[in-house]
Amino acid sequence: MHTVISTTDLSKTYGDVTAAKSIDLHVAEGELFGLLGPNGSGKSTTVKLLTGQIRPDTGSMRVLDTDVLADPVGVRAKVGIIPEQETPPSFLTAEEYLQFAAHIRGLENGVEEQIAFWFDLLEFGETRDQLCKDLSRGTRQKLMFAQAFLHEPRLAIIDEPLINLDPVMQRTIKDYLTDYVQAGNTVFLSTHILSIAEEICSSVGILHRGALRYQGGIDALREEHASLEKAFLALVRTSGMEE
Amino acid sequence: MVLFTLFAAMLKEEWRVHSALFGHLGFALMPFTLVFFAALGALMLPVFTLHIATGTLVSVTHLAFGLMGMTIGAFGLMGREAMNRRFGQASMIAYASRTLPVSNRAIMAGFFAKETLYYFCFWVLPPVAGFGIASIVLGIPLHWTPIFLISLGLSFLFGLSAVFLLSTIYAHSRRALLALMGLIAAGAVVTLGVAGIPVQALFPPLAFFFDRSAGSLLLSLLASGAMAFAGIWFVKVEYAGATQHYPNSFRPLIRTLSRLHSPHFVAKDLLDLKRSEGGLGKILFSFLFPIGIIWLLLEVLLFILPGLNALAVFAILLAAFSTTIYNWLTEFDDFAPYAFFPVTAGDVIRAKLQTYLLLNLIPVATLVIAAAGFGQLDHLLPSLLAFAGLSAYAVAVVVYCAGLQPNILLYNTRTLLSFIGMVAPAMLVLIFVSLPDPRLVAAGCVLVLPAVLLISRGERRWSEEEQRLS
Repeated sequence: MHTVISTTDLSKTYGDVTAAKSIDLHVAEGELFGLLGPNGSGKSTTVKLLTGQIRPDTGSMRVLDTDVLADPVGVRAKVGIIPEQETPPSFLTAEEYLQFAAHIRGLENGVEEQIAFWFDLLEFGETRDQLCKDLSRGTRQKLMFAQAFLHEPRLAIIDEPLINLDPVMQRTIKDYLTDYVQAGNTVFLSTHILSIAEEICSSVGILHRGALRYQGGIDALREEHASLEKAFLALVRTSGMEE
Repeated sequence: MVLFTLFAAMLKEEWRVHSALFGHLGFALMPFTLVFFAALGALMLPVFTLHIATGTLVSVTHLAFGLMGMTIGAFGLMGREAMNRRFGQASMIAYASRTLPVSNRAIMAGFFAKETLYYFCFWVLPPVAGFGIASIVLGIPLHWTPIFLISLGLSFLFGLSAVFLLSTIYAHSRRALLALMGLIAAGAVVTLGVAGIPVQALFPPLAFFFDRSAGSLLLSLLASGAMAFAGIWFVKVEYAGATQHYPNSFRPLIRTLSRLHSPHFVAKDLLDLKRSEGGLGKILFSFLFPIGIIWLLLEVLLFILPGLNALAVFAILLAAFSTTIYNWLTEFDDFAPYAFFPVTAGDVIRAKLQTYLLLNLIPVATLVIAAAGFGQLDHLLPSLLAFAGLSAYAVAVVVYCAGLQPNILLYNTRTLLSFIGMVAPAMLVLIFVSLPDPRLVAAGCVLVLPAVLLISRGERRWSEEEQRLS
């Protein structure tokens, strides 16, 4: 299967803190890959590295056959991204923000239909004329989700996309992601919520203290440790003891 | 005890916010920079007082400190949006009444005490210290320094207290605030303009400066105390207000601006300006104060160097002040909301400069009006060329020194001095070039060349910096 994300010896430190340590990661096309790890394990840093938002200290990366270091903007043009914390600009309405995102991405045809689709699917059309600063956190999260998929990317790199959402909306998004992958696309999902990964991911990577402790199929982990939770705890605790 | 704990925690928090934004050393040096510039300004007093009445200078200075108190208080009370842009969802102690077992009144009282002490130390003490140093050189009796410290401190406190009261009234009723502001304005016109009552009668700190009596001191403290007390006692944190709905203005703006390179960025900037506090009017308003200063400087400059051409100098000073437009454009924006889009910081800066260019129509219109006012329409073209060159150069320096964060980085002493060091010589050279013939000021248009170079370097610098810092 074609590889859409590959990294070699990827490392990044912030002062004394190692956020990524010699990460060799490979994600194949058509996978719903979950990057798991405790808080502060380096998941968001990995997402920022893969999308060219920050530069690594060492290592190389290719995303959708593009060298991230050589062409970070090119990577961001191809990929749909949901950052972990960023909120949309304050003084645009929800609808204006999606139009703004479409313009930045150079979309011309079918934009209004796309926007209508997302308002409908994520059930937040009633907020289309409200300023982003006045939206609830959940609605902002829906908006960030919509902007990431507006250009129908082949690959989505999404950081904690389900936080702040109610169970009904979480179900809608999980179903959307599953269908999206079945259509031949790829999702790189960063989360610390194991149940989400267990439910929808086909393969996972487990990060701890910046190092990738496991990468592979989720079923293989389950077979060895009875559940993803047990496997996760075992890997994290073992690596903690090793250090 | 609770109040003191809150006060101490807020004081610590304020310092940490500023040192995180500006760097420990960069911010710690700011008061010394203020001392330096205040001393330089005060050394010019003999020249100023030759042309402007001392009483007028004193009144303007006290009113400016009152205005500063109001500005600082307003930002403290309403600056959450700006903080959110800088720090994500800001959760500062002042906003924590829902999670801490303390009343809103206690939090507001602690907040008021913190604002008073912290900003007195940062914004009142240094200028007075600068005056104190200059007064030694100028032979001004030393007792004026502590008098200024008290009266300017009182002015600052008066402004701060007034804004606390006004914000509380605003929280209860926007109409009541508007009515009160109308009454104050009408009262000021009647008492100052019609009845000819001196300004110190309405501004107790100034009255204290002029008579230095215990009664005036007490009146000033009581007035500020009463306003602060009312503002704190009747504080209302839960703002009742229906959700506001806005028609889609982005789409029509994009169509209007379609000839520009990045119409979507320019449209967003214009909507940010229009919908944020104060609306588009804040740009006009923010020009009134600088134009007042320019006028004052012009009076002094023309007195020192009678050969200067008023319009040429006005154009030069106006161009330097025009960079505040760029500050407005980056007030609620940094690169973070764009970091996951296919753009670089350089792209965003370039787009902001397009909006800057568009909004430069305001100072250009001001210059045309000034040319008509001076009766120098024949000198308008060279002055416009000088304005264009210097405005482009000054904003290019801001871009190079501070990227998308001039509102933060220009408070860093080193960055501020770099900005002054790069812009001031250009201004001086242009002023001197215009001496033999005001038309020669048109040479300022050559500044477009270094501007282009600086912008290009600035875009590259901040694109790399954003990747390094994210």
